[in-house]
Amino acid sequence: MNTDDLIDSLTKDVKPMPRHALRRRLIAGLILGGGGTLLAVGAWLGFRPDLWIAMHGGAFWMKWLYTASLALCATLATARLGRPDGAALGWLWIMALPVAGLAAISIAEMAKTPSSEWMAMWLGASWKICSRNVFLLAIPIFGGLLWSFRRLAPTRLRAAGATAGLTAGAWAATLYCLHCPEVSAIFVLTWYSLGIALAALTGAMLGPKLLRW
Amino acid sequence: MQASEDQLKAWMTRGLDGDAAAHQLLLRGLLPVLRQFYRRRMSGREDDVEDLVQETLIAVHQRRITYDPARPLMAWVFAIARYKMIDSFRRTGRTCAIEGLEDILVVEGFEDASNARSDVSRLLDTIPAKQAAAIRATRIDGLSTAEAAARHAMGESDVKVSVHRGLKALAARVRDTLK
Repeated sequence: MNTDDLIDSLTKDVKPMPRHALRRRLIAGLILGGGGTLLAVGAWLGFRPDLWIAMHGGAFWMKWLYTASLALCATLATARLGRPDGAALGWLWIMALPVAGLAAISIAEMAKTPSSEWMAMWLGASWKICSRNVFLLAIPIFGGLLWSFRRLAPTRLRAAGATAGLTAGAWAATLYCLHCPEVSAIFVLTWYSLGIALAALTGAMLGPKLLRW
Repeated sequence: MQASEDQLKAWMTRGLDGDAAAHQLLLRGLLPVLRQFYRRRMSGREDDVEDLVQETLIAVHQRRITYDPARPLMAWVFAIARYKMIDSFRRTGRTCAIEGLEDILVVEGFEDASNARSDVSRLLDTIPAKQAAAIRATRIDGLSTAEAAARHAMGESDVKVSVHRGLKALAARVRDTLK
């Protein structure tokens, strides 16, 4: 095709772009995928029956604060890597804060508990499936993000894939809290984080393939 | 004639607001810049150049929400152009020939050099005009003291003193900004 014709056809229908269009696009993708994940939690795993009561306790909010703060940082990093130029990610070290905070809570909890019960705290009732569930629930959100990325322009595909996976994993973990009845900090620190990390790793592996444009 | 960064950016901003005519002007304005960008790097493969130019224009159009108006436009465009070039190398399985690689590096160097040039001229604007002229003539244009003196109708010793004082002032200025 002749380049002049190409320009004509590209500019035939120019829609105005809303302010913060990139952010909107990402949020739309997250809501799209998050809806799928929420549906999966409700239909496949079931919301925990004592959800309302649990929301009055501290453990539930500790879990949410942990996963949601990770998710928020990862989302911002993804937005950054969605632009072709300039991707300074030095600030990402603040993601260590929620991890360190939860580790501190874990140690405090364990100090109050006799050591014979530590194993039970760590493994809970669902350690075998927790990471797997978080990982599986991340898939719809990752799909939503892939849709967002169709209008973004990442130039570091592996990094962008990793942060997209991290974002999907952390939001999936946040929604998984609506099902998972575990309460101990060391459980969340280990098995939730493992699921989230697996999602990030998978994202990093798939990034160069799926995010090419 | 190539449109300036400011002009292109104004078109981009209006295009983002839905002004189709401005958007068209932008894409047309980018044409010569992109052709030059790829021609320097693809060493004469004219078909590939035009393919890459078109791909870049499509990306500029389709992915324009990734442009942040607070940043320079051309840096964004070149980031896309560079990505498209690397992607095409990867796709065609072309391992960069050594000569080709050198070309790319040299041209990248040009970009740095032009940035450096604008830094230097900004610095030279901060010292007295006579000193700046003397430094430009002897240190950048490579004239001898005598030639510089003839060009600017100064005495030779005046040129030497101006260069000396000017460099001292520049060094102080740089040191201040580094503090």
